[in-house]
Amino acid sequence: MKFIEFLKDEFNSYSRKSQIALYVLFAIVALFGIFAIQVLFWGLGYTDMNNNFAWGVWIIGDLGLVALGGGAFFTGFFLYIFRVDKLEPIINSTVLLGWMCYLFTLVLLLFDVGQPLRAWFGFAYPNWGPHLMPISMLTEVFWCLSLYFCILCVELVPIVLKQRLLDRYPVVHAIGHYMHKLMWTMAAAGTFLSFFHQGSLGGGMWGVLYAKAQWFRPHFFFLAVVAATAGGTSFMMLIPWIAGKIMKKEVVPKETFYTLAKISGVMFIFYTSFRIYDIYSMAVKYVPAVDRSFMDLWGGLYGIWMLALELILCFVPITMYLVKKFREQEKTLVTGFIAGVSAILVSKMNVLLHGFSVPNFPWRGFTTYNPTIQEWFVFLGCIAIMTLIYMWFVKYTPLFPHLHHSEHASEGHE
Amino acid sequence: MTTMKRLWGMSIDLDKCTGCGACQISCMQENNMPIFEDDSDIPKRVTFMDLMRVTNDYQGDKKYGEVQIAYVPKMCQQCSGNNPDPNKAVPPCVSVCPAVATDVSDDGVVSQIWSRCIGCRYCQAACPYEARVFNWWKPKYETDFKNSLNPDVSVASRGTVVKCTFCSHIWKRERDKMIAQGITDINQVQYTPACVSACPTGAMKFGDLRDPNSPVYEQKLKNDPRAVRLLHKIDNADPAEQQRRMKIKNYPNPKVYYLTSKQWLRDILSGFQNS
Repeated sequence: MKFIEFLKDEFNSYSRKSQIALYVLFAIVALFGIFAIQVLFWGLGYTDMNNNFAWGVWIIGDLGLVALGGGAFFTGFFLYIFRVDKLEPIINSTVLLGWMCYLFTLVLLLFDVGQPLRAWFGFAYPNWGPHLMPISMLTEVFWCLSLYFCILCVELVPIVLKQRLLDRYPVVHAIGHYMHKLMWTMAAAGTFLSFFHQGSLGGGMWGVLYAKAQWFRPHFFFLAVVAATAGGTSFMMLIPWIAGKIMKKEVVPKETFYTLAKISGVMFIFYTSFRIYDIYSMAVKYVPAVDRSFMDLWGGLYGIWMLALELILCFVPITMYLVKKFREQEKTLVTGFIAGVSAILVSKMNVLLHGFSVPNFPWRGFTTYNPTIQEWFVFLGCIAIMTLIYMWFVKYTPLFPHLHHSEHASEGHE
Repeated sequence: MTTMKRLWGMSIDLDKCTGCGACQISCMQENNMPIFEDDSDIPKRVTFMDLMRVTNDYQGDKKYGEVQIAYVPKMCQQCSGNNPDPNKAVPPCVSVCPAVATDVSDDGVVSQIWSRCIGCRYCQAACPYEARVFNWWKPKYETDFKNSLNPDVSVASRGTVVKCTFCSHIWKRERDKMIAQGITDINQVQYTPACVSACPTGAMKFGDLRDPNSPVYEQKLKNDPRAVRLLHKIDNADPAEQQRRMKIKNYPNPKVYYLTSKQWLRDILSGFQNS
């Protein structure tokens, strides 16, 4: 009974608007639970995926979350290796976002495989070649993703240890402090691992499918790494900005946003030029090599417009982040955040969802795919749980050290 | 121990095929295909062999009287990549498997172990022929069907990818028979997959691609003007061009040949026209 009282008090400590948001989130999580059981116990037949369209909305979730979570390794790399100290106020939030993105990538992957209980086969019978070079890109994904997730767990520990109740104990405080000091080693290892799985899950997995005109490109591995650095950093700015807006406080100093925006903008220049080269090489070299015509792969105006939208979205953050006038206005800067994140998500949709719909035989048409309610709620449930975890961390841990420097805030959270 | 000399392959004469579907039925019976409540749900159906109905009117531009149709039995094409040597073969699906559930045998057959498969479906994404199928539902065998299951083929569980293996279990059975007779030379063993033995018109032929006496001798098929391989337009290029393109990338290089004297059918089977 005491526990229920505690939960009631906890819930009532939120503002009315936040309570409504919590109701919605809990409802989504409850539906997630129901549909998760249905899918796990009775099979993937409840999804709209089929033998032609082997992966659907969950793979967009996987690739999107990993690419956006990739901002964690890139921001950590700049802070701990290049010592860009202005990024310090955002790093805790970045580590948490990275950890959640990877956790839910693993959760979505478990839903996506037909035999989740055999997931350990990826470690027990890995498809290695000579010199421990993975033959299957998915073997590389298995190993790098799980190892990097462990690293993110270690990186998250000092933040959790700073929780007020735990921080009172000198031992816990000392552990947290020294772990924080040693974090550069984790950042370095994380960068190394993240480089590989960003490349393999985001790009290499598709780039090696040599029989498929829509995917085969040997450089696709590297494009995905650049995409993660560009889009991930935008995501790492977007979420703290939203949190700050809801809390009506400055959670991250403006200079931090400006510094990270400059880094992200430069990465978007690299990414956009690389993507344009990628599309060009597809059109003149790789698609003709598979005896297809580039224009036919897009299924008419719809696909071409998606491609155009992706490129337009890529140019928005470049302008907003790198022109001083736009960067220092909140509205234009946020437009940049949103466009940057959307550019990466639209690119994943163009490559994957569109790639699966392309017909394999001349006499077939494009395949349509419409996610079922089960797919939507498993996907949305993951996002809802991520939001709840983020809210808990904002309230109980020093996720935004800047906030604690300026005032000791404990009330009026999200 | 003898070295494997066989390289199994198939030829299907589409001019002889009547589209009766006996190959598909015998394949399903031989390989313990489940029967689902709704087998009209074709994109989720579990079958190794797909009898495709192909027409020259797929763009809707043919007039009355010009429309022609053909039936194309399509199973796993047992690709090998640019290098036909089975020990160096790289079919599109084999290298991608994260758990080594699928592999190429030394006789060139692309095999799959259902019980090793984790159901990630990466091989399905890699296959250009849509030859791999996934058990979206739990396979069901109603009442009497259970008694007629083939003990040589393992029953797949829900959430695994399955595929045609050129009925390699029959080959293993024949091999055991030969060994019982005291013949240990593996190259003496011949066999016929279920679909080929069920074909009433003799349209399907199976044998060793390397054996000049076999009905599917590869050199003969390659020079046959009636032969075409599915979605493999590179076959039409001259050898120098083939060499140049094979430096850029691998090509599936399948072991199933389709034979037809109809030009429209050869065109449509070889791949997309407007490239």
